[in-house]
Amino acid sequence: MTKQKVAIIGAGPAGLQSAVSLAELGYEVDLYEKKSRPGGHLAEWHVLFPDMQPAGELLDSLMQKVLAHPQIRLETGVNISGLEQAGKSWQLIQSDSVRGEADAVVLASGFKLFEASKKEEYGHGIYPAVISSAELETIFIREKEWPFEKTNKSPKIGLVHCVGSRDAKCGNLYCSKACCITAVKQAIELKKTFPASEVYCFYMDMRMFGLGYEELYHKAQLDYKVQFIRGRLSEASPSGAGRIQVKAEDTLMGRPLKLTLDMLVLMVGMTASVSPEVKENTVELKEYANKGEFVKIPGAVIGAAQWLKPGLFVAGACKGPATLPEVLNDARATALDLRNYLSGVL
Amino acid sequence: MTKQYFGFSVLEQRSVNLDSEMPAELESLYQKEPSLRACIACGNCAAVCSAGHFAEMQFYRLNVMARRGLLHEMVGKAAACMLCGRCQMSCPRGVNIRHAVLMMSQL
Repeated sequence: MTKQKVAIIGAGPAGLQSAVSLAELGYEVDLYEKKSRPGGHLAEWHVLFPDMQPAGELLDSLMQKVLAHPQIRLETGVNISGLEQAGKSWQLIQSDSVRGEADAVVLASGFKLFEASKKEEYGHGIYPAVISSAELETIFIREKEWPFEKTNKSPKIGLVHCVGSRDAKCGNLYCSKACCITAVKQAIELKKTFPASEVYCFYMDMRMFGLGYEELYHKAQLDYKVQFIRGRLSEASPSGAGRIQVKAEDTLMGRPLKLTLDMLVLMVGMTASVSPEVKENTVELKEYANKGEFVKIPGAVIGAAQWLKPGLFVAGACKGPATLPEVLNDARATALDLRNYLSGVL
Repeated sequence: MTKQYFGFSVLEQRSVNLDSEMPAELESLYQKEPSLRACIACGNCAAVCSAGHFAEMQFYRLNVMARRGLLHEMVGKAAACMLCGRCQMSCPRGVNIRHAVLMMSQL
């Protein structure tokens, strides 16, 4: 009997972990990645909260397992735009032609970062000193330069929470949940890089939900002297010499506040990456176009299978904002559901 | 500074200006009581405050004033504390409030 085959769309953490788990269960795995390199956002990240483990280490260990497994075939630069059901199997469509076929499919297309320039009042894309949290990660891994003078060893830096999250003006009412702890992590990393710097976090609420998060927040205040100011910025404006003046309501003081900064970091939230359009025998994988939603799994809370249709499973952050451990666990759980489906249990 | 003709303005008299130099006493206050930095302004201290029944005593607000460099305002208000220590028993962040407020009032 030939081995059953599973196709995975997206080779970020969810796709890579799904591939490893499914290959270990004995399936042939075709792993497709749209970009030229696997790893998703993890490939552009510095360290991970709350233990400050280098992101590269985690990605390397995942990639080693993927590359070492003879049953996993990874293809990069392949954009799967749709799926077609042919009997019990699925055909993967790439620009109107069939790219491959599988007994089951895992959609693991991940999330897109909110485009910071949409919050026009913060001036991202206009003032070089205003960067996104993802851009700060690329600076930390030395793929980009600091936006202030190299001689400046005591920069004043502000981090703005909830950019593109919990914001009806952006159409995103949800909390992206990983940004608060990312801000705390980045504030600490900034203080490690520039011990003489002043770092301010502008927050609405501090949502430190995970084990070790609140502890890290406490450490940021006590050991790294990061200042947390409750209040959203009304705007960022230029202040000469490439600096940025920010204005906010200091809601704990009940007074307006202003501050001039050398760098302003916008903690961008997560948005959907793909909006699948499910029809009778086909599924169109549309690029998220501002009004899309995260992939909804009916009955997910009561433990229903993580699928859109029998045989089409969904894993990871394409279902909604998630942290890395959640994504990896979800990928493992999805692999188990998929096994039950293919062995006729589900 | 050049006047700006766009955007939102800030009422100068009321505004907190974090660009201004922080008073030197602030650092010494933090050195005397480092746990002050851990405050998250939850307000538990004020909710259990016995002096708060009689006077305007909200410890977390004193701390916010200190952080913004408004020591003059802070010192005056710290005098209302009776050092009973109820706040300290309820502080979720473990701030050594009694000592902190004593140091504040003696600045």
